[in-house]
Amino acid sequence: MKKMKLHTTIALVAAISAPTFAGETMAIRVGRAETVTKGVIEHAVILVEDGKIVVVGEDLPVERGIPVLDRPEWTVVPGFVNCYSRLGCDSEGGDDNSPDVMTSDELWPKAAAYKEVVTYGVTTLGLYPAGNGISGQAVAVRPLGDTVEEMLLKDGSYVKIAMRSDSPSKRRISDAFKKIAEYDEKVAKAREKFDKDKKGGSKKEEKPEEKKAFDPAQDAKPEEKDAKKDDGFVPPDADAKLRPWLEMRVGAKRGLVTLGTAADYLHFMDALGTNEFAYDLRLVLQRESDLWYVLDKKTYELDVDGIGDKKLRCVVEPLLTVTQGTMRTRNLPHELHRAGAKVVFIPRNDSLPDHKAWLPHVGEVVNAGLPSDVALRAMTLEAAEVLGVADRVGSIEKGKDANLVFLTGSPFEATSKIAAVMLDGEFVHGEVNQ
Amino acid sequence: MRLSTIAACVAVVFCTSTFVAAPAWAQDPAPAAGETKSDKKTEDKWVALTGGDIYTGTGEMLRGATILGKNGKIEAIGYDLEIPKDAKVHKVDGMRVYPGLVAISSQGLLGNAGGEFDDTIDPFNSRMVLGLAAGITTTGAGSAAVKLKRFTVDGAVVNERLYSVFSWSGRNPRTKSELREKFAEAARYVREFREWERKVKEQKDLPEPKKSGVDGTVLSVLRGETLAKFNASDRDDLLGIARLAQEYGFRPVIEGCQEGWTVADELGRAGARVILTARDRRSKDEQQVAAGGTSIENAAILHKSGCMVSVTPPTEGVDLGGLEGRDIRMLTIEAGFAVRGGLPDKAGLEAITIVPARIMGISHRVGSLEVGKDFDVLVTDGDILHYKTYVQWAFVDGRMAYDKEKELFYAHIRPRPQAELKVDAGETPRGDAPKEGETKEEKPEDKKDDKPDDKPEEKPEEKKDEKKEDKKD
Repeated sequence: MKKMKLHTTIALVAAISAPTFAGETMAIRVGRAETVTKGVIEHAVILVEDGKIVVVGEDLPVERGIPVLDRPEWTVVPGFVNCYSRLGCDSEGGDDNSPDVMTSDELWPKAAAYKEVVTYGVTTLGLYPAGNGISGQAVAVRPLGDTVEEMLLKDGSYVKIAMRSDSPSKRRISDAFKKIAEYDEKVAKAREKFDKDKKGGSKKEEKPEEKKAFDPAQDAKPEEKDAKKDDGFVPPDADAKLRPWLEMRVGAKRGLVTLGTAADYLHFMDALGTNEFAYDLRLVLQRESDLWYVLDKKTYELDVDGIGDKKLRCVVEPLLTVTQGTMRTRNLPHELHRAGAKVVFIPRNDSLPDHKAWLPHVGEVVNAGLPSDVALRAMTLEAAEVLGVADRVGSIEKGKDANLVFLTGSPFEATSKIAAVMLDGEFVHGEVNQ
Repeated sequence: MRLSTIAACVAVVFCTSTFVAAPAWAQDPAPAAGETKSDKKTEDKWVALTGGDIYTGTGEMLRGATILGKNGKIEAIGYDLEIPKDAKVHKVDGMRVYPGLVAISSQGLLGNAGGEFDDTIDPFNSRMVLGLAAGITTTGAGSAAVKLKRFTVDGAVVNERLYSVFSWSGRNPRTKSELREKFAEAARYVREFREWERKVKEQKDLPEPKKSGVDGTVLSVLRGETLAKFNASDRDDLLGIARLAQEYGFRPVIEGCQEGWTVADELGRAGARVILTARDRRSKDEQQVAAGGTSIENAAILHKSGCMVSVTPPTEGVDLGGLEGRDIRMLTIEAGFAVRGGLPDKAGLEAITIVPARIMGISHRVGSLEVGKDFDVLVTDGDILHYKTYVQWAFVDGRMAYDKEKELFYAHIRPRPQAELKVDAGETPRGDAPKEGETKEEKPEDKKDDKPDDKPEEKPEEKKDEKKEDKKD
């Protein structure tokens, strides 16, 4: 995997005193670091070791002997995370309810697109399963690597759930919770039986034990079952299609619910009823999107809480929309942010040109009012949260993967260009000569 | 004839009693007002329209009266009503108040999808706004009757199964003989079944009559469980349907009915419920000796003969291309054409309110302003059948669903005095102070519905004003 270099890089690595191979240390001194989690650091120094960020700080002294890349004219931001992509995948899904399908099974590391998106600053990709129903589980990958294992960041990421204003979509959601209820009942019965069989001496715990029994952690990791349960109760096996739902119910996994219209949101809420699970929204922005109707409950006196009230994370295109039937521009990403939702950006389309134009497209939304720190977070950390890899990528922080994008200026300035890209401590794009 | 008269009488009596009762409450506030105060204020949603001329639809017109709604239902209509403190009061002096219109059939008002409207309705689509702007608050869509409720996907469907459609056409004569046989068979079965029911009490082992070969739909028509609907316009077909209906004792719903005026007496005798387009054009079949073709008087003649007449525009969708005035937004204009042809004004209003509601079996909830029915109310700036009239506000289930000044479509055409175009373009941060242009809430009838927390101090003042005026009356 470390051999994966662009030809430009190979020439330039020689110019740097020491290329940053695994196990080596390197210091990067730049004019400005927008870390996302630790604010903006001027005259920042980032120490990278073994592909991880070790230290970040302002004007830190660098130990003698450690190679320093000194670029005071650069701004560094975390590597971009596109959490919603089909790049390199070509399967076709149906309308099924198949949350057990894994996108990692169709991962093809040789796809040329991966090498290209890296040059646009995308250092993490979330690949979702194709299909219109509940089509399966996404996979978070680093877009370089010769094998699936090298690429894999997190398998079994979010579960993609398509939601439309129609009966099948609503039925899929309500059926899932029906199945969960059936399973709960089954577990409760098994528990009862277990306790009866075992009434020899151990204390009889009822309700709390019952709840523990659906803990997906136990279903997922059998070795933990015994550790958690001192009485040795093993809950009955859950159906493969049910297991992701059990995990989502307790937040061990997240769903990504795709919606197109305000009506879809209300129908989703209607289908969900009082049930709950951990989910983010993928809001498909059309030019005349009406999603602004459901930002909050108050404005239009909705029956349910709005997207902002629930502080949901919303995956959207960096797109300015118009009020229906008019030419009045709306900045829906900004409205989402103001209403309290968390914005996540993805390229406008899942094509390479749109990955290339991702930063300027987000710049347009920033220009129209969205705070730039929110926009940067939306391209990095929030996206990592959707994928469940925020502990590894998405910000410039100690301990995180050294995925960095070096820009010639402020990220959303029209004149700024991507100067270099670092993936896991290694320059994979850009002219890095001292 | 008989039935509609009776219905009208009942309605008049009903309404009159309401109005007689109303002042009594005012004098003695104990029953009405006492109740409301003891109720949980947070839960009850009150709305009141004061000062308008209320056209109840089934009863008389009440000049400068008040209509009070509670939790989406009409609570009271009359004068000097006690209005609860937390009610949203809209002063509509000089305006007319009508029941929400009922379109017997439409397309697209509920969004793109069809079928199970509980799961597919799009309460944000702009055609729904256009429908409300046309005064339509309830519509037949597919086989269901659905309300144009905005901002919610809950509770829009009023009736899920409207009628069974039968074919009866001279162009395909077999349909006639087949249907006649089906009715004969079903009628025979009904007779046998009744006899069996009577006898089985004594003879317990008597076998139930065989149901095989009996058409289930026809049977449900004969049992009054569903309405039989025909699409027919030819004189002969209409006559055939009328006679079939008289023979088997059911009241047919007839859509089209272009030559209905030529056989109006027969249709009236059959108690037909007619859905017609007053503007339809069709030339007479010159080979026939009898009268034929369309007549602008069609609706009037059928009404006079005792048919329930409802009207529908030439096209059912929201059609913004082509000739203006032919699509579902022109429901009132269509009724206007029927009135032009001699239909009484009141029957013209009924043709787009209570009659379609009766045909769809939802007249217990919509179609007129009566206590206990849904608070589906229009406020207009003139006679609703007049071409110049615009719907100013439309309420559905007690909630303002349309405000002419706040929607894009007609706000600029003869704007209400003091009102300005205000459309949220998303530029003002939510919860922030309103922009300069938005501080127009001085106008009482423009009470903020979207932002109820704005200017709460205005409400008491208004009520005082309103009470004073009531006393003047």
